[in-house]
Amino acid sequence: MNDTYPVPDEKLFKVLIVGDPTVGKTSFVQRYVQNTFRKDYKGTVGVDFALKVVRTSENQTVKLQLWDIAGQERFTWMTRVYYKDSHGCIIMFDLGKDNSLENIIKWKNDVDSKCKAPDGSPLPCILLANKCDLPDKQVTREELESFHKQHNFIGWTETSAKEGIMVNESMKFLMEIMLRRESNSTEPMSDSIRLDVPPPRTQGTGSQNEEN
Amino acid sequence: PRLYQIPLLRVYRKHDRSLQDTSAGHIMIYVCTDIMEDASRNTVSICPVRRIFFIFDFRNVFAWKSSRDAQNTSSNNGGTAPGWKLFGRLASKPPEQEPTTDLESGRLPESPASIRSTGSGSKRYEDIVASSSALILHNRPSNLPAKSQDEEQKHRQEYEQMVEAARKKELKEAKQRKKQLQRQLKVEEQLANAARIWNNEILPKWDLMKSSRKARDLWWQGIPPAVRGKVWKLAIGNDLNVTHQLYNICLSRAQERLKEVGDTETPQSGDNVDKEASMELIQLDIARTFPHLCIFQRGGPYYDILHCLLGAYVCYRPDVGYVQGMSFIAAVLILNLEAPDAFICFANLLNRPCHMAFFCLNQNLMNAYYAAYNDFFRENLPRLYCHFTESLLSADLYLLDWLYTVFAKAMPLDVACRVWDVFLRDGEEFLFKAALGVLHLNQEVLLKLDFIHGAQFLTKLPDDLAADQLFKSIESIHMNVGKQKFAEVLHTTST
Repeated sequence: MNDTYPVPDEKLFKVLIVGDPTVGKTSFVQRYVQNTFRKDYKGTVGVDFALKVVRTSENQTVKLQLWDIAGQERFTWMTRVYYKDSHGCIIMFDLGKDNSLENIIKWKNDVDSKCKAPDGSPLPCILLANKCDLPDKQVTREELESFHKQHNFIGWTETSAKEGIMVNESMKFLMEIMLRRESNSTEPMSDSIRLDVPPPRTQGTGSQNEEN
Repeated sequence: PRLYQIPLLRVYRKHDRSLQDTSAGHIMIYVCTDIMEDASRNTVSICPVRRIFFIFDFRNVFAWKSSRDAQNTSSNNGGTAPGWKLFGRLASKPPEQEPTTDLESGRLPESPASIRSTGSGSKRYEDIVASSSALILHNRPSNLPAKSQDEEQKHRQEYEQMVEAARKKELKEAKQRKKQLQRQLKVEEQLANAARIWNNEILPKWDLMKSSRKARDLWWQGIPPAVRGKVWKLAIGNDLNVTHQLYNICLSRAQERLKEVGDTETPQSGDNVDKEASMELIQLDIARTFPHLCIFQRGGPYYDILHCLLGAYVCYRPDVGYVQGMSFIAAVLILNLEAPDAFICFANLLNRPCHMAFFCLNQNLMNAYYAAYNDFFRENLPRLYCHFTESLLSADLYLLDWLYTVFAKAMPLDVACRVWDVFLRDGEEFLFKAALGVLHLNQEVLLKLDFIHGAQFLTKLPDDLAADQLFKSIESIHMNVGKQKFAEVLHTTST
């Protein structure tokens, strides 16, 4: 039976997750891949790896190789190796910390200077403002809106790995961009995956559709 | 001692009447072979898995929590025991086919039924839970038509078979428990013996004995936890002449610095920022060190000790500072030594060439170590080496984690401690030998994994990694390429 089916189209994308220590990179990855949240992840040394397989249509699956990279600044010389052959990038910061934006610029420059997308263009990067479930926020939406444009991010959103807010949506957004880049598509993005409209800032369980 | 988590398989609640049995008047037999434990619910009983409980019920007083479960099993078993309903997960199998969790049963309570209950129902519950020897064949209720003699006979036989099977199973399990206990006793006795030899023969004459055949053999078998700290301290030595006084000075400086960080809101410029950032990072990282042990987290017994040690080190070696991964090394030392001694060992250990190169992130030296490792990898495990090369799984992606934490993050802690033992005996070469031992042990699995699964496997090794098997694999690794030993290969790769 099976051999009558066409081999499904399988895409493999390598996605980097970078940002300062303890902004929630590992938690984000675990939420996305396993839909779980724990308080007790071991700190990342070097890189942690994860894989998410997403069925995007009847005959297409996308494998996302997630490279969850340790956040300490002094590891920077090693990041060149880690960044190699990536297709997309997430730069994450903690909404509750005050010097976050400065460090975001550092991370963005680090990524842009060491790595390009396969077609030679800058790596598509999204900016994620994590821990949006916590009440204390140091950066306003207006700031982020102009900041992300100024620094050439393809989009930004608030997320909460803990509550599962905008985790799947942001990954889906990045995935669509990577797929479009690969197929050189010029069709306009569908509205459903635009990220520049942030989710309501309510606390709660989040309204995302779980992909199981 | 190890804690075993017992899965909650089925909960039996005395007053749960959500399931009403429909077959009124039938003898109800609940075969209960599951472990029931839930400390949070006082009304729940704990039954060791090795026992079978037959619970009789004529009037539907007792019921299982899950009605669907009960209906499924009852329909499955309805044919085998006419007129009787058997409930329970294992009811369809003969009792001999118990799951292997039996092995753990040596650690379970000896009494047939321990009841954790504060409610008034506990007493009545005791009445109905009994071991298989208490299985009673009740006469048929008088309000039902009498059975035919054949049927009566058949049921009696079935009943006798059940009792016999249960008795056999109990005997068998008792034997297994005894064996398990004996094994455990033997291991404990060996450890006690080894500790005695360490204490009486080796430690008092350390310099004389440390390289003796006897000491080396004992060392390889794993140092008993009781003397581990002492042996490690002697093996690491104190070339740096760090004193307890120096530790205290560094400690008070660290505390001052931390206070400053807390007081000043504005970040300072230049080098200071990084140092302070690493001070701050320590706090963040401590909680992420062996989180499952729950002792290094804020409020845990070792939180302050680990914090102090790492803070003191940053003051002792400001040029190195704190690097992620150090917290694991410090934590392993703290688990085996008093704080000042742990600090002395930590400082000396990190001063060894390999760790100094890695924690200072000396790019050239790190690459030299990777290259040397690759040479031994290709020499020892050519097939796997090819596979890794093809799937682009390079050594830096997993070896960094192993070296930074001396395997403490990727391996179960008890196995990691045994690697530490021999690492402290043989030096940095052993780190690479152990790494290749890990690959050797898991070679067949790894050959089947692609890049991402291989990388995941290596950064989080299986929880059931057995130390003895690992050490056999490590033993099979030859640390020479041609006539060159590790140091010579490293020398070649670093120039």
